Amino acid sequence: MQEIFIDKYIYLSMALFIIGMVGVMIRRNAIVVFMCIELMLNAVNLLMVAFSAKLNDAAGQMFVFFIMTVAAAEVAVGLAIIVMIYRNTRSIDINVANKLKW
Amino acid sequence: MNEFITLMKPELLLMAMIFILLISKLGVGFNQSNLMKLIQGMLLINFIAGFFMNGEGQLFDNMYHTSSLIVLEKNILNLGMVLISFLFTDWFKKCDHLAEVFVLMLTALLGMFYMISSGNLLMFYLGLEMATIPVAAAATFNLEKKVSSEAAMKMILSSAFSSGIMLFGISLIYGAMGTLDFSEIPALLNGDSLQVMAFIFLFTAFAFKMSVVPFHLWTADVYEGSPIGITAFLSVISKGAIAFVFVSTLYKVFQPFHEIWYNMIMVLSVMTMLVGNLFALRQQNIKRFLAFSSIAQVGFILIGVSSNSIQGATSVIYFVLVYIFSNLAAFGVAGLVSFFTGKENIDDYKNFYKTNPLLSWIFALALFSLSGIPPTAGFFGKLFLLTSGASNGNYAFLIIAALNMMISLFYYLKVVRAMFMDKNENPILPIQINFATKIALFVCGGGIVLAGFFGFVFDYIQALVK
Amino acid sequence: MIANLPNYIFFFLAFIAIFFAIMVITAKNPIHSCLYLVLTMFAIAANYVLLNAQFLAIVQMIVYAGAIMVLFLFTVMLLNLNADSEPVKSNLMKFAGVIVGGTLLLLFTAALRKSIGDAEPVMNSIPMQIPNHSNVGLIQNLGWVLFKDYVFPFEAISILILSAMIGAVVLGKKEKVQLSTND
Repeated sequence: MQEIFIDKYIYLSMALFIIGMVGVMIRRNAIVVFMCIELMLNAVNLLMVAFSAKLNDAAGQMFVFFIMTVAAAEVAVGLAIIVMIYRNTRSIDINVANKLKW
Repeated sequence: MNEFITLMKPELLLMAMIFILLISKLGVGFNQSNLMKLIQGMLLINFIAGFFMNGEGQLFDNMYHTSSLIVLEKNILNLGMVLISFLFTDWFKKCDHLAEVFVLMLTALLGMFYMISSGNLLMFYLGLEMATIPVAAAATFNLEKKVSSEAAMKMILSSAFSSGIMLFGISLIYGAMGTLDFSEIPALLNGDSLQVMAFIFLFTAFAFKMSVVPFHLWTADVYEGSPIGITAFLSVISKGAIAFVFVSTLYKVFQPFHEIWYNMIMVLSVMTMLVGNLFALRQQNIKRFLAFSSIAQVGFILIGVSSNSIQGATSVIYFVLVYIFSNLAAFGVAGLVSFFTGKENIDDYKNFYKTNPLLSWIFALALFSLSGIPPTAGFFGKLFLLTSGASNGNYAFLIIAALNMMISLFYYLKVVRAMFMDKNENPILPIQINFATKIALFVCGGGIVLAGFFGFVFDYIQALVK
Repeated sequence: MIANLPNYIFFFLAFIAIFFAIMVITAKNPIHSCLYLVLTMFAIAANYVLLNAQFLAIVQMIVYAGAIMVLFLFTVMLLNLNADSEPVKSNLMKFAGVIVGGTLLLLFTAALRKSIGDAEPVMNSIPMQIPNHSNVGLIQNLGWVLFKDYVFPFEAISILILSAMIGAVVLGKKEKVQLSTND
């Protein structure tokens, strides 16, 4: 009875993914950049769950479970590093204190 | 059960080492130098044990598989790890969190092993993350330096970004084919535009991790900022592991997309070689110099990958082996100098030969090998890469590669000239080399000189690839 | 009308998700970004329920919105970041970022439409029949799959979490050393 098409989910998660990607490119605050990466991962999770529902297969949902776990580990390390760099430089601008880009 | 132990032996050994290190931290009062000896001993045992009792087969529903080739790749990485622990003994001993640094590096190595023997996209993803997150944490371990934490931040942001891109590709592959299993994917690839898109996403993530040129921006900063031991780990072991996986993924899983990735690799390889070499020319800091030179080396690895033949896969593995020796020797000397004198500029190396003849010979040998001057192993490595690339008959590509070798010769020799010929008012003082470090330097030097002359190494790898 | 209800719900949730996602990347204040992201995640969790993935919906709310985002909020507040702490990136960069994103969106839409339009469609528009009795996303079923088929990754990831914890603890501990030497 439910009439949701898979392509709608693909478009939605693609839009979220690209918004996250643009965010990574245009923001300089390291924490916000990290949040944008989380947004990208969420878009991926949504896509995985949609495919898993379409294929009626649990593998996709399992994958989402593992993505969440890895994201938690990544965030723990990443935020610890960001706190460190803030203590050191009083800034979390990703371009600050960078002498030579090339 | 018995099979389980034989097949997963490299992983189980690494896990055992991780837990021994954790326990050593809990109350057992090792002092730094005893702990260092324990670690070196364990790594050495691990490396030697890698040659015995190996099996072939798969476990856990094809999530984990292993073969003689995979065992060989793991042994190469183990060798690199042993050499790193010996080369940077002095830095490690001074480090406040010695056990933790090694726990993190060994976890990363474990992740690489999972990644190399993964038979499933899920295991592959987990291995890849395991191979990067701990190293990013370890990159901040230079207490007194601001650049160290900056390097770690760049590394974790870029690796998280690239794994996000890769995950999008993986989820599209899952949706388009309904499977995550590597062995089922090739039959289902039919050139559908969505599949191509998914493949491009996956390829981009690989390019990020290997620091292929448009995606290389993080590399130099991370290499410069990280402590030298971690830099060596990143530039040699991480890159080697990714190169192995890249080859096996492209050759086995995405073989039907051969024409697509051939063109992409060709363009990227030319860009990587050119940018790596041209930027290496103007570097003053020795670590940045080595970072750009290793970017240029990735360009050469890509030539071998592009050939899509058994010889190509063989030459990539052989080149990684040679590259471990040469790059570790270079990083070892640079690390000793920067540890004892704090000097990291190329100008400081002027007249290095007068005060430290042994180190300057090893450094020169490593640079010759990296640039590919004939008697060294680096020459044979590049020769094999180029000949396997030539099998496609794309000679313009090879001419560009040869021109790049000329450019690289120029800047490598510039450093050698600075060491041997230039005058300097206050040269680097003679450095007391630790015994362990000396052994590792000799092993690297021996590898550079001898690996080229023993043809059976190449033949052996080729037999395994088949 | 009733039969179409899931569609309406979907469009509503999609609107919320995209709207707040755009707010995340445009908000000046990191705390606002963080809260908008929590809202986006709730919209996504609601989508999971719509897709019959109840367990993941709960996990999404508990782990993502509850734990990870709170960690972000803590960090933002700990560092006391406020709105004007972030230097503005040049407009050129912003413009370039938007252009790249738009191009990618266009490319992707084209690929998707071509894939759907192909003679032998992989991603065909068969209505996604969510079976009424589908139990793929229920805890019982997922538990079976996780501990039977996926037990190896489940064990493997424990080492990653262990080492991430060690890394974070060491990084946190190091502060004292820094402060005592610097200040």
